[in-house]
Amino acid sequence: MSKKIHIRLANHRVNSSVAVYSRVPKIFTPGEIITPQNEFMRGHGTYEEDGNLKSSVAGVREQVNNLISIRPLKSRYNGEVGDVVVGRITEVQQKRWKIDTNSRLDSVLLLSSVNLPGGELRRRSVEDEHMMRQYLQEGDLISAEVQSVYSDGSLSLHTRSLKYGKLGQGVLLKVFPSLVKRSKTHFHNLPVGASVILGNNGFIWICPTIVNSEDSVGGFIQNLEEVIPRQQRETIARLRNCILSLTQSKMLVFDTSILYAYEESLKYEICELLQPEAMVDVALLTQQRLCMLEE
Amino acid sequence: MALCEAEKTFVLHGVEENFRIDGREREDYRPMELETSIVSHAFGSARLRLANTDVLVAVKIEVDIPFPEKPNEGKIEFFVDCSANATPDFEGRGGEDLAIELSNSLSTAYQSSRAFDLSKLCILKGRKCWKIYVDILLLECGGNLFDAVSLAVKAALWNAQLPLVKSVHVDGNNIEMDVSEELYDCQKLDIKNAPVMVTVCKIGDYCIVDPNQAEEKCSVGSIVVAVSGDRLSTVLQTGAGSLHPTTLVESMKLGHTVGQRLNQALWEALQQIPEDQDVGFLK
Amino acid sequence: MTIDHKRINGPEETIPYELFQKLNTKSLTTQFNECSKDGIRKDKRKTDEHRKIFITTGVVSQAKGSSYIELGNTKVIVSVFDPREIPNRTDYSLKGEIDCEFKFAPFSCPKRKLQQQDSEEKHYSAIMKQALESAVCRHEFPNFQVDIYALVLHNGGSALSAAIIAAGLALSHAGVPMYDLITSVTLGLQNGEKLVDLTLEEETLCLSPIADSKSHGIVVLSLLSTHEQVSQFFQTGNLTLEDVVECTHLLTKACKDIVPLIQKTLAKHVVKNVKESI
Repeated sequence: MSKKIHIRLANHRVNSSVAVYSRVPKIFTPGEIITPQNEFMRGHGTYEEDGNLKSSVAGVREQVNNLISIRPLKSRYNGEVGDVVVGRITEVQQKRWKIDTNSRLDSVLLLSSVNLPGGELRRRSVEDEHMMRQYLQEGDLISAEVQSVYSDGSLSLHTRSLKYGKLGQGVLLKVFPSLVKRSKTHFHNLPVGASVILGNNGFIWICPTIVNSEDSVGGFIQNLEEVIPRQQRETIARLRNCILSLTQSKMLVFDTSILYAYEESLKYEICELLQPEAMVDVALLTQQRLCMLEE
Repeated sequence: MALCEAEKTFVLHGVEENFRIDGREREDYRPMELETSIVSHAFGSARLRLANTDVLVAVKIEVDIPFPEKPNEGKIEFFVDCSANATPDFEGRGGEDLAIELSNSLSTAYQSSRAFDLSKLCILKGRKCWKIYVDILLLECGGNLFDAVSLAVKAALWNAQLPLVKSVHVDGNNIEMDVSEELYDCQKLDIKNAPVMVTVCKIGDYCIVDPNQAEEKCSVGSIVVAVSGDRLSTVLQTGAGSLHPTTLVESMKLGHTVGQRLNQALWEALQQIPEDQDVGFLK
Repeated sequence: MTIDHKRINGPEETIPYELFQKLNTKSLTTQFNECSKDGIRKDKRKTDEHRKIFITTGVVSQAKGSSYIELGNTKVIVSVFDPREIPNRTDYSLKGEIDCEFKFAPFSCPKRKLQQQDSEEKHYSAIMKQALESAVCRHEFPNFQVDIYALVLHNGGSALSAAIIAAGLALSHAGVPMYDLITSVTLGLQNGEKLVDLTLEEETLCLSPIADSKSHGIVVLSLLSTHEQVSQFFQTGNLTLEDVVECTHLLTKACKDIVPLIQKTLAKHVVKNVKESI
């Protein structure tokens, strides 16, 4: 391990872009006319003025049938029912928890939408209300699913499945929500020896592999005694740095891209992955492998 | 940013294992980026970026009258501005305490004449001297401010050009100075021994340098060590929490060795800067 | 602190006449040798000897707790007021806060001090706060702050240490729950000598280096003695690592030596109150 401290000059900054396609899609800027007709439906990131549909954010156009929306690169998370999210408790209130999920408003988790210890069908008593802080307190992390979206856009979450619940030891990463690819499952037990939860809201949780998912997740117990062995730590740290490399180069994060990046990064020491050159290199190699996969 | 107990435990065990959450060892720094001569109105300037921390330092030089108690010395003053651009918490007077803490630590670190010799800034004893204003602007706050600020200050002072005084005429109460008109006829400041600061954080039973924000949250106490050459120019404790005398001594030793390495790294980076560099910003 | 326009502030800058005397022409080395010769200092103390301390409580009758300390010529009054809700704060803080104000009286130093806090005083306030924070059980008064005011009546050196000792005593006099008694000592290095409990003259001498390469500087350390915890450490100057380490040991010992005196003062205060109440 080199004990060297790296101070680089700004002239030597590396360009982190790895775009291989020469075709850049049309980028709309706020106020730009998308289409003069008004037979289209107004989606997110657009507004109507003088019969024209205009963009309100900088981003690319997306069209589903008659619905036109502009998707920006950076945005707060727009929740949809069924999304998997990772969030942090910010406040304990009467019969509900407030949760920071990187969306515009704080999300809520109702006491009635969690599985309390002692069976699913247990009645919620007054004691449970007093015990709320014992289950989840400020600062705790949870994984959950979006149950419904209120009219003001705030989300209501639920953890009524054994795979959701309080998170134990691990590392949280925050990336742009748009960089997390939507897929069937967002819980991955990677073959390299760690689990990741890719929250749709851009919060990514990396933790040691969960062996028997029945009794470790879904509950409110954290094992603070357990010391995670060095080898697993290395895997987690490498995954963390790989995901950061991908997001630095604005590449989508999903199980295959993470695995490829992990494999490509093996030629570097873990802490070398903090260097910009190594980060771009990993991202580039991953990009190439993903392209080959498509072909 | 709040952290839950399990995350703290993970960080803590990692530090014990000498393998931190981003793969660094206890004594490792994150890579930094340095840029000099970026503000053309200033005599010298530098910008340093360490992960999410971004600091811009500009040096202005003026002619002033020396303090009566120190007629042979010039003056140096540090001003820290916590811009609300960095975090909304700094809005209004929010960042004042932090700014005072930073500028005080810098002025005590530069106090000894071995760290920075003010007598070279004297033009005419008791009458005229140079006064250096060091303005520090925090553009972004991502932890480990002391280290980043001290490095940027040192780089900005290295970059500074002191106008060359050719001759001084005294005529009664009037003092006339003849400053060289040649634009490039300048002096550089001697900053070989200017201090750099290292924040040493105690997590569990061990000490680490360059903590990220999660690690700062887990810390039970931290000290800032300013290293000038192979000596210590300032040691001060920051944040809440107290330390056992032996831990204090150990963290000072760690800060001392790391500080020398940091100094070396900065020096090497400064040597690489090309002479005829364009003035720019955020290249 | 805001500027008080109604107060007559006096001249902004004053220059003590001593500076124009010809005495100042002596070199630093001779000045220092006069101060400390063969391990005996000007006031006939040994290098590791503390000045005589006088300390008492209850000097400010309207404050919740107060104390007065004399450390040789240094005289400091500290008063502590009732906890009050933290002003201008919206979020709830689980731990109470400590607010310190360290102030030199205008006439306390050779140079006249202004009514407003200057940067040195602000720095000392921050150091005091740092020192006292870990001594007080802050969790016992959530969302409240305790105000501590230290006023130096005469600066005869080691004023910061004196203020910290007095503040610790004033806090316990006020009945604020504390983990431990706090003591603090200032030490100066110059020309290879380590001088405990500096006078003002020694303090100025320790700040600038004498021509050779030996360490010079000032170290202030505050100790929670029963827990063996250093609650505050501050060093300035130019020291080798070995010197700092040695100073730390010297200072820890010196801090422990003062503790019985503080205990005695507190006990005396309690006994006196009990007797009065009978």
